Amino acid sequence: MHARSKAETLSTATSPCIVRQTMIPALSISHLRKVYRSGTVGVEDVSLEVAPGDFFGFLGPNGAGKSTTIHCITGIANPTSGTIEVFGVDAVKNYRDARRLIGFSPQEFNVDTFATTRDIVDWMGGYFGMRAVERRSRVDMLLERFELTTHAKKRFRELSGGLKRRVLLARALINDPKLLILDEPTAGVDVELRRDLWRYLQELNRDGKTIFLTSHYLEEVERLCKTIAIVAGGRLTRIGLKDEYVREEGGLEGAYLRATGGDREKAA
Amino acid sequence: MSSALSTPAPPQPAPLVNWIGLWTIMRREWSRLMRVPIQAFLAPWISASLFIFIFGFVVGSRIALIGGHRYLEFVLPGILMMNIVNAAFLQSSSQIYFSRFLRYVEETLVSPLSYVEMIAGVLAIVIARSVITAIGILIIAAAFGATSIQNFPEFLFWIVFVSMAFGLLGIVIGLWANNFEQLTILNVFLIAPLSFLGGIFNTVTMLPPFLRWIAYINPFFYFISGLRHSMIGFSEASLGLGVAVTVGLAVVMSVIVWRLYAIGYGLRE
Repeated sequence: MHARSKAETLSTATSPCIVRQTMIPALSISHLRKVYRSGTVGVEDVSLEVAPGDFFGFLGPNGAGKSTTIHCITGIANPTSGTIEVFGVDAVKNYRDARRLIGFSPQEFNVDTFATTRDIVDWMGGYFGMRAVERRSRVDMLLERFELTTHAKKRFRELSGGLKRRVLLARALINDPKLLILDEPTAGVDVELRRDLWRYLQELNRDGKTIFLTSHYLEEVERLCKTIAIVAGGRLTRIGLKDEYVREEGGLEGAYLRATGGDREKAA
Repeated sequence: MSSALSTPAPPQPAPLVNWIGLWTIMRREWSRLMRVPIQAFLAPWISASLFIFIFGFVVGSRIALIGGHRYLEFVLPGILMMNIVNAAFLQSSSQIYFSRFLRYVEETLVSPLSYVEMIAGVLAIVIARSVITAIGILIIAAAFGATSIQNFPEFLFWIVFVSMAFGLLGIVIGLWANNFEQLTILNVFLIAPLSFLGGIFNTVTMLPPFLRWIAYINPFFYFISGLRHSMIGFSEASLGLGVAVTVGLAVVMSVIVWRLYAIGYGLRE
């Protein structure tokens, strides 16, 4: 794992990075650097790998570089340097092949707010080249799964915050992606939906889907993720299996505060 | 971690052309266009009706024949061209600007669509809007007995290529603009003056000799003259030069827009 030389890793014995020698990682990021036009450094030399089938948590405070990293993976941002591969496909050079493997639910609502729920999900299927028949049944299934069927003809702007979040999730799953990237998927949703979503994500992961999750809720990450990385100031500061955080650091919260410098701020 | 050890199937390469993706962009754009039918179609038809009635019919009845044609027949191609240019420019510039403003451009950025497909999808609806606008104006003009198309393929060439060129220009402005005011700058300061100076209402010989060069360096002069030739067979400009200017503009704009998409100008962070 490239991150090993840069970030402090917790253990090597059972880390998913070992898998790399025998199989193609679901996601491989090597020396990613992103500097915005304003000169702000979004990400500085981040390297990590996500094994196929992993549930990977990507934690960090606001402005740490989580969304920037995700935007570079999904094509919303241009990386300044470094490489990103999705199941061995270069996400910059062969971006079309790489995109076909990814489903993405962003933190902010990047939606035509005047479009209907059904259209938003259906159009995304169309962009992925899905045929009308296949798309229709998949859209119906996802609307049903996220309890959006009765809201199918409503415009996005008429929906509540929780419903809007569900639309983004349905849209991210329309192409049945191998790698599902979720940027704060439960922000602003009620407890019932959050728990329902957790169950659904665990189900998807059990079926072999690789999930890359960012969240501000440590409880969420601790409950769902197998591998957890922590970023701070645009750099990867910790990476390891969840059990290692618990065993060696006494829990995720303590490790998170130490990795992000939050413990020093608290002490000061 | 057992699920982590399952070997994924090798990814299938993307098809050469994502036809369904391209069609979906067109469907989305059409749906967006149909949300504002009054602004998109009724407004230019009403505006063209007024131009045809006042300048062509009322004023025109007191003006002598130009090249053997009634003044109404002479001005109609110019009015048509002005509306086509506006329709093309407004369609693409507003589409791109709002997709950036509301961030739904990200839907296409995260999808397996090529830049050519993204651009072609937008342009297809630009051309559709221009053609529908043109058909409406021709129907209105027919009520005044002024509609005539002598060479339909040539007529279609001017509609499609001029729409393409200004649709592409609209994309550039849509990518560049950071507010609504910037979105209208080109229309106010370039498109409207050049179209009025391009010979909508007058021939070059009506201009004072020392001002005629303005018409000859104005691309709108060639668009209007070309369209007029296809409709009534009257032209003041070299047809070959007009075709070369129009095709050249469309090609240059295509390359510029493709390059802007490739580097992510105005699209990617």
